[in-house]
Amino acid sequence: MAVGEERARNRRGIRGWLNPYHYNAERWAYVFQRVSGVAILLYVIGHLGDTSFFVGGPTGTGPSASSWAFIGSIFENSFGHLILILVTLILFFHGTNGIRLILTEFGLIFKKPAAIEYPYKAKSLGSGQKYLIAVAIAAAVLAALWAFLVLFEGMG
Amino acid sequence: MKESRLMLIQYATAVVAVVLVSVHLIMQGVIYPYSTAISFSNMLSVYRNGFYAIFLEALLVIVLVHGFNGVRIILHELRQSAPWTRWVDAGTVVAIVAAVAYGTRTIILAIFGGVAG
Amino acid sequence: MSDVRLVVQRFDPFRDEKPRLVEYAVPRREGMTVLDALLYARDYLDHSIGLRFSCRQASCGSCGMKINGRPRLACYTQVDELSTEKVLAQPMDNFAIIKDLVTDLESFFAKHRELTPHLVRADTQEVEHPTAEFLMSPEELERVLQFTYCIKCGLCTSSCPTVATDSKFPGPQAMAQAYRYTVDVRDEGGDLRLAALDDAHGIWRCHFAGSCSAVCPKGVDPALGIQLLKRHVMSGKAPRKQGEGAKVWSPPAQKQ
Repeated sequence: MAVGEERARNRRGIRGWLNPYHYNAERWAYVFQRVSGVAILLYVIGHLGDTSFFVGGPTGTGPSASSWAFIGSIFENSFGHLILILVTLILFFHGTNGIRLILTEFGLIFKKPAAIEYPYKAKSLGSGQKYLIAVAIAAAVLAALWAFLVLFEGMG
Repeated sequence: MKESRLMLIQYATAVVAVVLVSVHLIMQGVIYPYSTAISFSNMLSVYRNGFYAIFLEALLVIVLVHGFNGVRIILHELRQSAPWTRWVDAGTVVAIVAAVAYGTRTIILAIFGGVAG
Repeated sequence: MSDVRLVVQRFDPFRDEKPRLVEYAVPRREGMTVLDALLYARDYLDHSIGLRFSCRQASCGSCGMKINGRPRLACYTQVDELSTEKVLAQPMDNFAIIKDLVTDLESFFAKHRELTPHLVRADTQEVEHPTAEFLMSPEELERVLQFTYCIKCGLCTSSCPTVATDSKFPGPQAMAQAYRYTVDVRDEGGDLRLAALDDAHGIWRCHFAGSCSAVCPKGVDPALGIQLLKRHVMSGKAPRKQGEGAKVWSPPAQKQ
């Protein structure tokens, strides 16, 4: 490819995924959905690793109290609990926002297309979407609060 | 498999995951206090409860299929060359199988493995 | 009134190593648009500014660019509505730059063409040599009307996060038009479009970021069309098969 053609390319790349500045609330929700999804998957893979210590880790043969106590000594502390609270926060956002997206992508929460009038407010970006994003944020915050009470205040 | 079928799987696993993860969190923090829930003796009894073991296996499969399919989608958007596409598709299947196998190993050993000190 | 501080991204890919921002002081007039400011800068301050425009009234879609970080039509954006000290004009994202604010729309039009953006019918004789109009009720027209307002300005495609990385993705404009024709009661070619869209880089790479609808200057709401089209792609069934399109109007029988 000629140097000029290379320089002319103007795709935003991953910044186009991750930078929602100047755009709508649904775009912000898209960024958080994508980032939280990857983060949750990384947590789940780690969780498979740490729960395997219940059976002695990768080389174990069955339930082992000492192996379980060992992994507990690493993760069962304030820092580990803070991580769990963060995971709960992003998990609940991802799940609740995901429900919004499923309803949206099946067209279940839209008004029908019709004649439009100036100032042309997009039907797909109506108050319903904003409300559901707010519900997702609220669910995440409430879940994180609950996680804090469970992990730090012994509630349960 | 057609992309629409893969997306149907993505949506279905999403909905089921919301339910299963909620149950998992309720088990870990509502039914019992958290410290009791993660104690060795409690973990042993729940793993060796047939229903909960099946539940955990279902949770494992559903969450990993949803998660790795999501990463497959992200990687497909990142690059579009034919080799990349093939490696991403193959890698997704390998990752799901490997992760499910490792998690299933934990469940099976927890149920059938001899209890050590 | 103070001058408008117009900052324009200048870049000729075949001469310059990288873009640079050049500021121009443009006399402010009440109600002036960004296009007015750019034309003043080009006509009186720097004749070399590369700029594409035509109708000056948001009908042609030629003057699409990124203004203060968001895709807009320059002729449809008043300087005063921006409420910032400087007005920053850059070429639309995700389109190759020809020069300065002028971008290459060829691939955009190609993606549009790939999704058969016209009525497809079995009775080609009637289509090419019409004897009368096809019957379409006002309610049936309303289902597609807003999508017919597309002026192909490219702002939606520029704002789309998937277009930022996926060169095979059709983009919101092409897919919204695919919806427009697929649900048109006169059309029988839905199967063609649905098959093309059910692909790893097709309609399913839309994740409803909604920026396309947020930036569309004509109220087309491409995100709405795309989500409504997903149902058809998921079922694999077009609304109408060959021969099931709207009938040709025929005159009522004359009373004797």
